[in-house]
Amino acid sequence: MPAPQTDLLQGTLDLLILKALALQELHGMGVSRRIAQITGGAFVVKAGSLFPALHRMEQAGWLTSSWGESETDRRAKFYALTKAGKKQLHTESEWWERVSLAMATALRTT
Amino acid sequence: MISRLRALWNNLFRRKQLDTDLDEELRAYVELVSAERMQAGMDPEEAHRDALRELGGLQQVIEGVRDVRAGVWVERLALDIRYGVRTLAKNRAFTLIALATLALGIGANTAMFSLLDQVVLRLLPVSHPEQLVIVRETGNHYGNSYGANTVSWPMFEDLRDNNQVFSGMFCRFPATVTLGYGDRAAQIPAELVSGSYFPILGVGAALGRTIAPDDDAVPDSKPVVVLSYSFWRSYFDGDRTIVGRTIALNGHAMTVIGVAQPGFDGVDLGVPAKVFVPIMMKTEMTPHSDGLKDRRRRLSWVTTYGRLKPGVSREQAQLSLQPLLHGILEFEVRQPEFTRSATPADRPLFLRNRVEIVPGSENGLSEYMRRPLWLLVALTGTVLLLACANLANLLLARATARERELAVRLAIGAGRARISRQLLLESLLLAGAGAILGLALAFLADRILVHMYLPADAAAEFVVSPIPDGRVLAFTLGVMLLTSLVFGLLPALRGSRTEITLSLKDRSGAASAGGISLRRMLVGVQVALSLILLVGAGLFVRTLRNLEDLGPGFPTDRLLTFKIDPSLNGYSDEETKSFYERLNVNLQTMPGVTSVGFSTMGLLKGYGWQNAVLGKDFEGAPIEEQPVLTEVGPDYFATLGIPIIAGRDFTVQDDAPARYKYAVVNETFARKYFPARNPIGQRFGLVDDREPVTPDIEVIGVIPDRKYRDLRESAPAQAYFPYFEGPHFRFMTIYLRTQGDPRQIEDGLRERMRQFDPHVPVVGLQTMNEQIGFSLRTERLVASLSAVFGGLATLLAVIGLYGVMAYTVTRRTREMGIRIALGALRSDVLAMVMREVFLLVGAGLVAGCSLALALANLVRSQLFGLNPRDPLTLIGSALALALAAGVAGLIPAMRASCVDPTTALRHE
Repeated sequence: MPAPQTDLLQGTLDLLILKALALQELHGMGVSRRIAQITGGAFVVKAGSLFPALHRMEQAGWLTSSWGESETDRRAKFYALTKAGKKQLHTESEWWERVSLAMATALRTT
Repeated sequence: MISRLRALWNNLFRRKQLDTDLDEELRAYVELVSAERMQAGMDPEEAHRDALRELGGLQQVIEGVRDVRAGVWVERLALDIRYGVRTLAKNRAFTLIALATLALGIGANTAMFSLLDQVVLRLLPVSHPEQLVIVRETGNHYGNSYGANTVSWPMFEDLRDNNQVFSGMFCRFPATVTLGYGDRAAQIPAELVSGSYFPILGVGAALGRTIAPDDDAVPDSKPVVVLSYSFWRSYFDGDRTIVGRTIALNGHAMTVIGVAQPGFDGVDLGVPAKVFVPIMMKTEMTPHSDGLKDRRRRLSWVTTYGRLKPGVSREQAQLSLQPLLHGILEFEVRQPEFTRSATPADRPLFLRNRVEIVPGSENGLSEYMRRPLWLLVALTGTVLLLACANLANLLLARATARERELAVRLAIGAGRARISRQLLLESLLLAGAGAILGLALAFLADRILVHMYLPADAAAEFVVSPIPDGRVLAFTLGVMLLTSLVFGLLPALRGSRTEITLSLKDRSGAASAGGISLRRMLVGVQVALSLILLVGAGLFVRTLRNLEDLGPGFPTDRLLTFKIDPSLNGYSDEETKSFYERLNVNLQTMPGVTSVGFSTMGLLKGYGWQNAVLGKDFEGAPIEEQPVLTEVGPDYFATLGIPIIAGRDFTVQDDAPARYKYAVVNETFARKYFPARNPIGQRFGLVDDREPVTPDIEVIGVIPDRKYRDLRESAPAQAYFPYFEGPHFRFMTIYLRTQGDPRQIEDGLRERMRQFDPHVPVVGLQTMNEQIGFSLRTERLVASLSAVFGGLATLLAVIGLYGVMAYTVTRRTREMGIRIALGALRSDVLAMVMREVFLLVGAGLVAGCSLALALANLVRSQLFGLNPRDPLTLIGSALALALAAGVAGLIPAMRASCVDPTTALRHE
């Protein structure tokens, strides 16, 4: 069965980005690839959504950015979680787990 | 929070840097993706193309990021505003007319509302002013009265001690006193107040203390005075050591005990009090009357205020006090004073007098200005309506003209919301600029109006400030917002509905057909409103002309007048009498003066001394209107240019101390009291409630009827007595007939008076024409403002009409061309367009006429010498408007009739 064409739910993208950055700092494409990797290819984030989200989250104080060297020895902008970002990841994960549990229960009911 | 602020700061002020960074970030992304593709085996060129495809359009991503930037709306707004300002600047004629319209509408309304608010609507600056009321008696008054709002001292005591509706009562009496401090002398308005005045008003002291009940317990016992804050600042330069010092009031040493709190100038806004004195000092402050010791119950002189207990309404208080008043009246009719001053026929009338409770902010000025101010507010309201109609019309026209521009913008992808926002923003820009202009205009206008309305010395310190307060600002902003919504949303809604293809394809198409009928209606409304304003202007201007043409009935050129009161310097009756005799001689010898006349009661001041008269011929008849009386010097009639038509003038030999013996009366007096008889030699007496009177004053002369109190009245019955007869000598109004321009001797006269007696101040020195001009200030204000409004309204209506007709003609160019090509005469085309013009104007005129006729009664009391439905004014205004409209319509009509059919048909 092919992966359904999933539109990212409002709020989901933020959570995925936070999660993608939880282990290490990444540049834009790194975030995109990491999300594809951790969702088993179910979500492919396009640049048109990714960059506005990154900038928005940076302004919100969840992410911080710095310029560094990419794999291709090129200057690239790397994003990392801030303290507030980590807290946000924690709260959003909890919320998401509650929602998915509730949804799963609801769908299982006959 | 901090990160957001930093982001906002960066976004607004370091945009370039951010954009370069973003560019580099996205470039890196593309490079990384293509590197990935190449690793997967693509050749470099294909990998790059593929990477760009994955990015999905560089510009879109950049826009996407910009959209999430904090403060993006500021940026957008700045862009929109810049665009709006540019379009407005490009359309200079439109912008100028629109701004002028807005400034006129908003400015006129703010100015008038400010004035109305501060003079008529505003409450006193005291604690809980809404609880404060004036208690007065309405109905026929017998005895002596100092004005409609006054009651007698015994009645004040009765009300104070027996009412159940007030938590406290106080009273006051306004007096003019002469202040001596150092070597300066000035006549100033003073307020004599009861001891409860300051505590009940809740007004405190800025310095020292205010008058307490203790200060006002025993007559003549406490010579203390409280200064008003503004007077303390202006006259005593805010000297803090003034408390405890002594100043002279009417020659009496008075100790300054304090300065009242800032902003409080007494309870009469029209005559701001400079000093406050315990009312127990009445005898000292008003040397011409015995004050408190005069216990006559029909001598009304104090204005009585009460503070309503919480929860008690004015109506309840009125009901509760009526039995109390009735009891007092029942008592009074049995007193000898009443029997002496009224006939038995007057008794039942008197017993029907009622208590009236009016707001505590009521005063002479607010009463005098209420009707004209409301009238002007109504006028400016009409102007505002008209301004709105005009603006809506202008903006509709502009929206139509911009249909193509908007269609182009829609076609290249602008959102409808964005376009609506743009149009609304432009309206707000206009309205905002208009409001600023309007407020500036209002500020200026109010300063001018205050100066027009008040005597020069009062205007300087009148508490009406030209700065609008919060409520007025809210009112203006409301008007502004409403206006911008009315005229901003209409075109915006229409604008965003524009069908792209239609507007782009067909320039004279049907896309705007809906707009033109709305615009026609707006022009009709404008014509109707202009007619109302023009009719109003006509009525008020003619009223002013009538009053000016009629005049007081004697030559007013080369006549100078001033007031003086030596008795306020502590001069005795004898000293005052001698003062006047010497002054008379002194002034008669002044170069440039041909004649000098003295009168105790000045002319055309809006008031007069009235007293009931009795005589054998009219014994027992009820007293309807009391005649107007005054005491005059020997050359009074000659100085004013009033002829003696029968009998003779007074001579110095008519002097008979302590009692009037001779009188000169006017024709109305003679007709009223001595009908069908030769008045010369007849006798009458002045009713006095202190003692029985025999009619023994002999009429020695008759003068023709002349106005006395104001120009509007028909001459009242008048009687004149020689002032040398006394018994008391008080204030005097002096008239000088001059050889040349009276203004040229004003300075010389002032200097002469200073040398004559430096301690007695000269008050209100002016020419008679200036005084008359001032007495007509309300009429002049209403006439000039209504004329200005009427003229501007007509101009706006005509511009609106021209715009609509010009547009109609342009739209129908092809039709006209075809008509002419098919053989229609140019005159036919001209007639066709003009028919439309007159249909439009005619409808407006009919509506305006009916409205003007319906509203006529509202202005009746403001008119003089003509009917509010005056046909001449109505027809004249309609004709003038029709003529102006005809000219405005003729220009596009001529253009239409000159259409060259070949050009017109090729035109599309």
